[in-house]
Amino acid sequence: MPLSCSIKPAASPATGLLGLNMIKLLFFGRLGDFAEGVAPNIEARADLTPAKIRDLLAADHPALFAELSQPQVLISLNQMIVGWEQPVFDGAELAFLPPVTGG
Amino acid sequence: MSLSDSQFMRYSRHLLMDDIGEQGQQRLLNAHVLIVGMGGLGCPVSLYLAAAGLGGLTLCDGDTVDQSNLQRQILYTPEDYGKPKALCAQQRLLALNPDIEVNIFTEELSPATLAPSYDLVVDCTDNLATRQQLNAYCFAQKIPFVSASALGWEGQLVAFDFAASGNLCLNCIIDKESAEPLLNCSNSGVVGPVLGVMGSLQATTAIRILVGYFKQHGRVQRYDGKSGQWLTLNAKANPQCDICGVR
Repeated sequence: MPLSCSIKPAASPATGLLGLNMIKLLFFGRLGDFAEGVAPNIEARADLTPAKIRDLLAADHPALFAELSQPQVLISLNQMIVGWEQPVFDGAELAFLPPVTGG
Repeated sequence: MSLSDSQFMRYSRHLLMDDIGEQGQQRLLNAHVLIVGMGGLGCPVSLYLAAAGLGGLTLCDGDTVDQSNLQRQILYTPEDYGKPKALCAQQRLLALNPDIEVNIFTEELSPATLAPSYDLVVDCTDNLATRQQLNAYCFAQKIPFVSASALGWEGQLVAFDFAASGNLCLNCIIDKESAEPLLNCSNSGVVGPVLGVMGSLQATTAIRILVGYFKQHGRVQRYDGKSGQWLTLNAKANPQCDICGVR
């Protein structure tokens, strides 16, 4: 199914309450190094999931897409760990966290 | 059994605390903890637990000390090159606190390591397969499990008190069938003190559980030493989990 949602800067401030139909994106730790230029907020759509948002990033941010495609990446929606197919609703904060495996 | 005069002096800073006190110290002295992995995390964890008077520690690591370890594995010295990490660690910890018992396994995790009875397991390993093996063991034995990892500037900690809480285990958060990521400490590095932060947090969490102040079953804590940020995440049990799910 083609995705018509685009990632673009939000009209609302990056902090505080998000405007209607917006999702706040957070790339934790070293993922932030790959996410330069990614808008902090995106427009929400009913069928958006973390997997679809990752796919939307692929064209303009291939290095970030590759990092997000690593095994053991964690995703949190409003501080709750979720899966790649979890529906993402407007007003949510969606965070991606890179795998941390060493000891 | 009451504390000896020497123990009163050694552990006086715990005894001064109302929420640890003699009863809490006695719980620590009576506990036996398994630490798997004596690398960057296992060193600070074992140092703090030994100093705190954990009555029994069992250390498991099949590796030997290498020069490249000394940037972060703070128990070892150049005189230890080529020697088993668990053996070197045992000597240092007993020198620090002769009041405790320290047992060792100088091979990788095996059924023999898990044969004795433990009160808590600390995961300081560097691979998902071993973490998941320990997770399954702790869930089956209904004992607490404190797991951490680190890479680059970042660290992660998650702990489970399977004795007090039901479902939700490591496999609900990271599927045991997941592949290993391309990056690890050997090929991309790690900042030594980040391991100290996470190892200290593991030791604190272990003490908290053993003394009786733990209520964060399955909560994930992430630290980014480069930005100084912390993130705390909650997790839900997966009813279909192979380890803790209702089948």
